[in-house]
Amino acid sequence: MATVQLSDPFAQVPSLGPERPVVWPARTRRKLANGLEVVLVESHTIPKFAGELYFRSGNAAAAAKAPGLAEITATVVRTGTEKRSSRQIEEDLRRIGADVGTSAGADTSAIGFNGLTEFSTDLLNLVAELAQQASFPADEFERERRQMIEGLRIARTTPSFLASERMRRILFGAHPYAIIAPTETQVKEYRLGQLVEFYRTHYTPGNALLIAVGDFAAPQMMEQIERIFGSWKPATVPVVPDTTLPELHGRHVHLVHLPESVQTQLVVANHAITRKHPDWLRLALANSIYGGAFNSRLIMNIREQKGYTYSPRSGVHALRQHGYFSVNAAVRNDVVAASLTEIFYEIDRMRSLAVAEDELSDARTYMSGVFSLGLATQDGLASQLSTVYLNELPDNELETYRQRVRTLSAADVLAAARAYFDSANAQIIVVGDRGQIGDQAGLFGEVTEYSAEPE
Amino acid sequence: MNELHIPLETTKLENGLRVVISPDRTAPVATLGVYYNIGFRLEPRGRSGFAHLFEHMMFQGSEHAGKMMHIKLINSSGGVLNGSTHYDVTNYYESIPSNAVERVLWLEADRMRALKVDDENLRNQRDVVKEEVRVNVLNQPYGGFPWLDLPPIAFRNWANAHNFYGDFADLDAASLDDVQQFFRTYYSPANAVLLMVGDITPDEGFVLARRYFGSIPPGPPLPKADVGEPPFEGVRRGEVEEKFGTLPAFAVGYRAPERRTSDWHALAMLDHALYGGRAGRVYRQLVLEQQIAVDTAGGIQYPVGDLFDYNGPTLLVSRVLHKPEYSPDQALDAFDAVIDAVRQHGIEQSELEQVKVKFRSEYVSSLEGGHGASIPRYGLMHYLACFTLFDNDPSLVNSILEGFLQVTPEQVRAAAQRYLDPNRRAIVFRKPTKKAAD
Repeated sequence: MATVQLSDPFAQVPSLGPERPVVWPARTRRKLANGLEVVLVESHTIPKFAGELYFRSGNAAAAAKAPGLAEITATVVRTGTEKRSSRQIEEDLRRIGADVGTSAGADTSAIGFNGLTEFSTDLLNLVAELAQQASFPADEFERERRQMIEGLRIARTTPSFLASERMRRILFGAHPYAIIAPTETQVKEYRLGQLVEFYRTHYTPGNALLIAVGDFAAPQMMEQIERIFGSWKPATVPVVPDTTLPELHGRHVHLVHLPESVQTQLVVANHAITRKHPDWLRLALANSIYGGAFNSRLIMNIREQKGYTYSPRSGVHALRQHGYFSVNAAVRNDVVAASLTEIFYEIDRMRSLAVAEDELSDARTYMSGVFSLGLATQDGLASQLSTVYLNELPDNELETYRQRVRTLSAADVLAAARAYFDSANAQIIVVGDRGQIGDQAGLFGEVTEYSAEPE
Repeated sequence: MNELHIPLETTKLENGLRVVISPDRTAPVATLGVYYNIGFRLEPRGRSGFAHLFEHMMFQGSEHAGKMMHIKLINSSGGVLNGSTHYDVTNYYESIPSNAVERVLWLEADRMRALKVDDENLRNQRDVVKEEVRVNVLNQPYGGFPWLDLPPIAFRNWANAHNFYGDFADLDAASLDDVQQFFRTYYSPANAVLLMVGDITPDEGFVLARRYFGSIPPGPPLPKADVGEPPFEGVRRGEVEEKFGTLPAFAVGYRAPERRTSDWHALAMLDHALYGGRAGRVYRQLVLEQQIAVDTAGGIQYPVGDLFDYNGPTLLVSRVLHKPEYSPDQALDAFDAVIDAVRQHGIEQSELEQVKVKFRSEYVSSLEGGHGASIPRYGLMHYLACFTLFDNDPSLVNSILEGFLQVTPEQVRAAAQRYLDPNRRAIVFRKPTKKAAD
């Protein structure tokens, strides 16, 4: 700690001390003969380990057949195998102090796990069983189908869900990314055979990536994984075709009427880029200055100066084939127009004026500092490894990230904002009570109104 | 295997501030926190929601770091920060690259020494808090259920029973005088603990703690507070309208035992046997097997706290969302049958053994995480703070597991009979005002 002893220690903000080096742990990688890709990292913070078995197919892969099929498949996967009943699975997990979670997003299905190192063989055996021998019991499927319907009904009364749902439909049109959740009717039409087919096609070793982080010796863990997953039979890897996106010209307002809403959920969004795109880092930095950090411009403006909202945020969201930029804020009903004005003012400022050197430098330090927090926990490491290997980023991505952030300039930020904060063609989603919002939304573009009920 | 050896060093400054440091060089980052022994239980009468509003004010400026400076200085050091208000504590914390430790201590000390806020800051944060309440409670399906619904039904002492997020009229009535008064009363070094977890040596940490916190005056003695509850008698029932969701729901609250008693150990194991994920008896029976409920969850202080972070009357909570084709009474009967079974028969030895392994595993994880990966070792910091402020013994973080792992099936059954009493509990029903589509 380099400090000068002052008579009044409060007179001056202490300067930052010298940085200690950030050293990323070595990865142990192997591709098994059946195609399964394995990435291991040791992290001895607690006597546990955690990981994900990913399949590179999610809801987008089955959207044409049945929206949400990957999700219901993942849900039912954990309810039975050829060797174990649902109850047996849950009790076995408790016996070894482990958790398993099966889920699916747009691009991936995953079996996540964490448990005590002392029981790692038992846990990996169960994960392998779920991946290869799920039995899809009919009664479990029917129960999960009903659970999903009830979950959707609740989601459709949640402003943030309604806003995301509408935003994705507008941005992605005919592309599978347009659908974030099925309708009740679609869920009722699922057939068990569809789940089994999705599982057989997509839960295959050549389509899979296994990441594990934790308190183990990597060579022994790799041997163990080879033993447990090596006999998994390879299959043809499916390909998900891309679809072009709708072209969006001009601002348009999409108002979802949610009666009795005492607040209005706003989303402003436009097309952006994937994680692999060479502009990703500059865009991430521009986002962090605009609305991605607590001290960003948007939050200082509409929260700390004006008090319109509690937790406004902007984000850059990367899916495998496409990406988008979005701004979210839940605001008081009578400041819908005022909030949108400030959201666009700050966007346009990012697009028009180069960011000052001190603000730029602060934001670069923020991005590289927060990145290093991921090093401290098993979950943090697992999440960073997932980003690298699911997106097929260079093997040294973690090591070079901070240096690359530090070389970004004000010109980079300006270029990224001009390219990807698409002010002129932004789509505005407004979820709230039509009567409370009044004519505020119409000030920003032609309004199309929707019901909160599904079509 | 069951004994933990997390390194700890502690000291106490002359002004009463306790300092706890747990070094770990895994990564060049640290999590720092200041915990004050004041939560929403003890906010002033007529000022519901004040402890939380006050927490917001702590980010609005101090003598040497005006509005925006606090947040800006942390973010621009590569760190993140937040604060949160609980029943019995309020915390302020930062995760940062370790070269910013001194800067963070400077900021935390400055706001412990001299909060400097004005009317405009108060108006601004009052507006922000109202939007927070709307987004988390008033505009959400099942918002505040049951953490805001149960206490007014279960408790008689205003301290335990009022609206902790705040009635808007009370938030409007809060003045700058209230802010300074609350600050002078509760935000003194003697009522706080400073925690440093991660890449910092105890020697460095103690020197810096003395440099920045050492000159803060100890403050006046704390006022006596009465958070006591009269004995819990009878079944207390209430109803709250559910404006958005279409599923009926109910929540049950039983009085929980005091921390660090043998009943507490036993009830914690029972809590896990009942609510521990999909293997838990309540979920298994109501959701998986009988399929009456759509979701169940519960636990001590669920969902706003846990087993360790309370220091006054509290509840073992159950939350059940059920299918509309079952009446609330039918669903409650099914729940009661699960509870009745553990009162009659306790739980099986094998079940208890499973629960113990899972409990140990979750405890270890909560020390490392507890707040997602963005705040490394939040849980360790949080438990160290509670064990210091409530028990004056941070080393409990290493030894606390022992008591749970010694619980016997007989103790579990006895705890079930004593605490899960059908004739002494609070029940609140959420009644949807809209009908389901089908």
